[in-house]
Amino acid sequence: MIQECGGTNGLFESFRDLTGRWLGEVAALIIASFIGVQAVGANEVDYNQQIKPLLQSRCYGCHGALKQKAQLRLDTVESMLQGGKSGPAVRRGDAVKSLLIQRVIETQLDERMPPEHEGEALSEGQVALMRQWITDGARAPADETPETDPKEHWAFRPIKPPKVPRVGNTDWGRNPIDAFLGQKHEALGIHPQPEASGSVQLRRVYLDLIGLPPEPEEVVRVAPIDTSVWYERTVQRLLQDPRHGERWARHWMDIWRYSDWWGLGQELRNSQKHLWHWRDWMVESFNADMPYDEMIRLMLAADELHPGDTDKLRATGFLARNYFLFNRDRWLEETVEHVGKGFLGLTLNCAKCHDHKYDPIAQKDFYRMRAFFEPYQVRLDMLPGETDLARNGLPRAFDAKLETPTYVFVRGQEMQPDKSERIQAGVPELLAFKPLSIRPVTLPALAWQPERQSWVLLDHCESARRMVQQAEVALEQGRQKLEEARRSLAPSSEVALRDSGGGQAVLSPAQLAEGEFKLAGLSLDSARAEQKAVERRAEAMRATWATENSAGHTLEQAPKIEEQEAVTAAIRAEREMALAKSRQVLASNEWRLRLAKADQKAGIEKEMTAARDSFEKAAKAVESPVTPGDKFTRLTGSKWTTTRFIHPDRDDPSFEFPRESSGRRSALADWITDPRNPLTARVAVNHVWARHMGAPLVSPVFEFGRKGKPPDHSELLDWLASELIESGWSLKHLHELIVTSAAYRMSSSVTGAGDSATRDPDNRYWWRRTPIRLEAEVVRDSILSMAGVLDTTRGGPSVAPGDQASSRRRSLYFFHSNNDRNLFLTTFDEAAVIECYQREQSIVPQQALALSNSAFVHDAAGWIAARISRPAASMATESISDSEFVRGAFERILGQSPTEAQTAASLKALLAWREENSAETTQSDLDGISDAERRHRDSRRHLMWALLNHNDFVTLR
Amino acid sequence: MGFTGLALGAMLQRDGKASELTWALPDGRPHFSPQARSVIWLFMNGGVSQMESFDPKPMLTKYAGKKISETPFAGVQDAGKLAIERSFAMNAEQRSVLYPLQVGFRPHGQSGIEVSDWFPNVARRVDKLAVIRSLWTTDSNHGAQTQFHTGRNSLDGEFPTLGAWVHYGLGSLNQNLPQFISIGQREYWNKKDGHYLGPAHDAVPLRIDPGNPLDYGRSERPFSRRDRSVGMDLVRELNALSGVEYPQDPGLAARIASYELAYRMQMSVPEILDFSRETAETRSLYGLDHAHCRDFGQQLLAARRFVESGVRFIQIQHGGGGAGAWDAHSGLRANHAGNALAVDQPIAGLLIDLERRGLLDETIVLFASEFGRTPGSQSSDGRDHHIFGFSVWMAGGGLKGGVVHGATDELGFHAVENRHYVTDIHATILGQLGLDSRKLEVPGRKRLAIDHGTPIHEIIA
Repeated sequence: MIQECGGTNGLFESFRDLTGRWLGEVAALIIASFIGVQAVGANEVDYNQQIKPLLQSRCYGCHGALKQKAQLRLDTVESMLQGGKSGPAVRRGDAVKSLLIQRVIETQLDERMPPEHEGEALSEGQVALMRQWITDGARAPADETPETDPKEHWAFRPIKPPKVPRVGNTDWGRNPIDAFLGQKHEALGIHPQPEASGSVQLRRVYLDLIGLPPEPEEVVRVAPIDTSVWYERTVQRLLQDPRHGERWARHWMDIWRYSDWWGLGQELRNSQKHLWHWRDWMVESFNADMPYDEMIRLMLAADELHPGDTDKLRATGFLARNYFLFNRDRWLEETVEHVGKGFLGLTLNCAKCHDHKYDPIAQKDFYRMRAFFEPYQVRLDMLPGETDLARNGLPRAFDAKLETPTYVFVRGQEMQPDKSERIQAGVPELLAFKPLSIRPVTLPALAWQPERQSWVLLDHCESARRMVQQAEVALEQGRQKLEEARRSLAPSSEVALRDSGGGQAVLSPAQLAEGEFKLAGLSLDSARAEQKAVERRAEAMRATWATENSAGHTLEQAPKIEEQEAVTAAIRAEREMALAKSRQVLASNEWRLRLAKADQKAGIEKEMTAARDSFEKAAKAVESPVTPGDKFTRLTGSKWTTTRFIHPDRDDPSFEFPRESSGRRSALADWITDPRNPLTARVAVNHVWARHMGAPLVSPVFEFGRKGKPPDHSELLDWLASELIESGWSLKHLHELIVTSAAYRMSSSVTGAGDSATRDPDNRYWWRRTPIRLEAEVVRDSILSMAGVLDTTRGGPSVAPGDQASSRRRSLYFFHSNNDRNLFLTTFDEAAVIECYQREQSIVPQQALALSNSAFVHDAAGWIAARISRPAASMATESISDSEFVRGAFERILGQSPTEAQTAASLKALLAWREENSAETTQSDLDGISDAERRHRDSRRHLMWALLNHNDFVTLR
Repeated sequence: MGFTGLALGAMLQRDGKASELTWALPDGRPHFSPQARSVIWLFMNGGVSQMESFDPKPMLTKYAGKKISETPFAGVQDAGKLAIERSFAMNAEQRSVLYPLQVGFRPHGQSGIEVSDWFPNVARRVDKLAVIRSLWTTDSNHGAQTQFHTGRNSLDGEFPTLGAWVHYGLGSLNQNLPQFISIGQREYWNKKDGHYLGPAHDAVPLRIDPGNPLDYGRSERPFSRRDRSVGMDLVRELNALSGVEYPQDPGLAARIASYELAYRMQMSVPEILDFSRETAETRSLYGLDHAHCRDFGQQLLAARRFVESGVRFIQIQHGGGGAGAWDAHSGLRANHAGNALAVDQPIAGLLIDLERRGLLDETIVLFASEFGRTPGSQSSDGRDHHIFGFSVWMAGGGLKGGVVHGATDELGFHAVENRHYVTDIHATILGQLGLDSRKLEVPGRKRLAIDHGTPIHEIIA
């Protein structure tokens, strides 16, 4: 019932009414208590600074370029003077008679502006400002222009590749990116900083492209820094490096909201088990340079486009992640919100309760977008080699309920659906550059009967076979135990004794072993019966499929008799399995009864009665003939992830997987990825730019609508967007363009910047490189890598929280959800799974504590020191000199050779650490080394600790 | 993470996001003259029964065993009045058979406010309390814990908690300590505070263990003070050398400052949690000599010591984890009697101790839970979740004492007089701290009137 944005709450107010308080009084109270009235005495009110922004945020939504309610526009003073249906809104010098003032101070709710549910009343301070401005004569700026038509908004216009400008400073530029920036530099009279040193660039490009620092020998191998092509060759090599996919997948995992599952305790409430399949798909796709448009299509609709292809279906983890056990509205609202923000840079969520206040998105459009997703649900498909879906399975989307209607919720309140109209899937009209074509997709039988996947029946049989094997082993063990017990005991002790206290039978070891052995035999019988049943069921299913075509329709000329025989065999085998199992249950109950204490017997006897019943039933069933109505239990290849929308303690009713998919999501994907879509490519290049360059071209990165700031570099953005599209949506092409630009390669220092630093202190025009605080994962992964202990295993299940402290895997493989977040990573602003379109780069004391106190850093410091001290494994001792050591340490941890001053400071500290009185404990006894040796080694470890706590380690210069 | 003024990188970042001309990051000063400077937020997880704590309802005993529809108060079940419910997980079950009061009540103090016999010590301080008996919320499941902290139903998404707003809006009172502290277990839906304000505004979780109170609060490997100090000197020198090559780098300056603060904090926090210098009388005031209330007593004593040292916001969860300890679906009598025993003496001790040290005037103490409990019975001896009317109380910080504000109907079902949504509590606290929540709004994050709430003027002194 609480609206997402704008407006006030209907029910809330009606409760206010119940208390007998009139809302006007409430508003008056708010005003009286909260608003410090701004001083507007002697100083004249500044229209541009004080009035226009207010009108823009509170009034333009209905009285501007977007809409002209009552034919009134408030976006220029001239239009205010001219007015609308009710006459002029503003009368110069006369605030009292100005309709604008009258309407905003109106206490009658149905007359007030902004209207109820569209926005709060203006504050007294705001009204005072307006009055003053009008009283002062409602002065207007000379060159005031009305708001531009929303169609003309830069981000909604088609992307046309702009001409690359010619610039004077030809020495600087390396590619068109620099030409666009250079043109601005010339216009503003600022000068780009020189190229950073080779070592700074090397560290930069390694950490940026693969998320790990360069290994010294790797650098030598690729291209020594003194060759002319070293940089380009390094870039090409890193873009081909499989670690690149790991690095950039993590960026897109932020944007696409990757999260492992979470819930209360073991109850799954959000996202899905085994969602890592989607993460692995991302890593592989980025490494393979899968076109960005194709990635979007697969994430939104792989189940419609490639229904039987499990590799591609992994992509729909994007949708599976939005699963929410309890509430469909929250689930779908989040889906719409983040499809809007993530792919399109549109805040569709602002239109949930009312028309969007800034963009041409009607409230109905929010629900039209929702309708694309209305039918979808989530299930786990079986993957080769594992039939237990708790251990592995593929979380994926599919259309389940094609008939579910979508309704507009009145004022966004899910309790108030407007059932007068069923909403059809569609996109906002302004962005409908072509008619949407939604065609239902007929699915192959493989998709709606996933048990038809080649491995499913085989795996069921294999798993039954393994159960038999295990039962055989257990039986053999039982037999050995029995023999042992018989051998080791004198005949006299075989007599059963009675325990006087608990009334419990006391059995001899041999009797015990004999009982266990018999039970093991029954278990084996049962496992064998199960194996037979599974095999017969599999055969029966294959026989049925033989009578159908690939779409699952029965053929007319079908070999019916074989099928019937197979089905009958399956039914019989299943009955026999039931009998074997119930025999086993009965026997084990008898055995338990024999061993039980007196007070437990009644309970077990009750269970015995039930077990005897089912045994008798099973025996009867085996005797009775198979009749045409009888069925066997089909082996399954998938499980729907149940929802609890109706009641929190009960699963909603299950259903059969439909043979058709609505085709809605492929239509949506087609619209999003159409090269004519003005937003998709612009939003993508902005994300990529922000991560390479430390700041985006358009901010906030999820707001390309009219509320956001128009970009300073729209031509550059458009050029990059066109490049992305024309390269076949190759992200690697985009990466290469950006990292080989002169803009990327500049120094981040302001030294020698002269006028540039004063003319553009915020670096809006990219005259220097923006330093970046390393992301959480890069901090941790780099430390492991420098220590030489990074576990480079790729992919697979996420590392469980309990295993993370000892794990040396890359951080992106850590289990990461709303509930479970790694402490070290969180300290460095790791992504929140709810929403993270741009990472924070905070600098807080917790980071200092983590880097200076954690066992992780202390241990790694020792490993790094050992590695530098003994560059080759063949070296017996730590033989390199202190100054060689200092050089090695700076190069490895900071990617830089030390200056003389840095070396001197470090050498001084090494000596200080070695002073006698610095000894803390006597570990040397344990190590078998001398005190001096220990101090020597510890001092080098401490130097590593210091460099890891150096600002230059966590900063990408 | 509980430190104002140092989230510098975040600040620079945010600068770039500003899209409204008038917007600027808070400067850490109150917007108007504050009446209070700190908050101790005591949250009883699970849902305290309003009628068995601070809102006695003899009619429940009179009509015990009757269906609500058979009593003169049948109107409380009007569908219209029940329509505010909106659950994280639907939980709407009407408990229609009235369940009698499980505990006696008597008037206390000069004000004569009635308090249940389960809270005898707090009752003796009742003249210090402003009891609000007319709260309502919308989430009838434990997502309401989040709702009480953020003001939003969790179906709407994730939003900053009140503590995060205070932290965001106000500067530091003590540079050696985190300004926003969380004590006690929090369930996953209520784990974080900053949300869109950023992790820099999450509460710093603390353990009441002077040996290890803070994550990474001491070196996890042997590292002598002297070795550390040589190391820090070197770091300082190297950072200064970098400052020559990269002058005017705000990130570098913030990083250096963050290390200094971290070090001071690492020293100060254990000192605050070391109770050895508290007198035996003070320790027993908080109930530290009784096993049943020692844990909570230690938390509250720590809270006082933090407030004394200038910490802004201390958020304490009682019985956190899972649904919460107060969630008495069955066995309410044993449940509430036990929980009350654990918190009653420590809370009364806190009020006394704050007052005698002159801290109560500038510290707001809040006692609250996510919702109340049903007048009807569940599983014969329990009560279910109840969102339509429940009680909280506040004390100190420029608020009136010995007053009751608002009322529920005869069954304790609906708040009927001076109804307050949970954000009215937020507004009252922010107002006393001198903050205008409307001035704290962040571009791109529109807030509604209901998010801001309205201060409860009737209880402000």
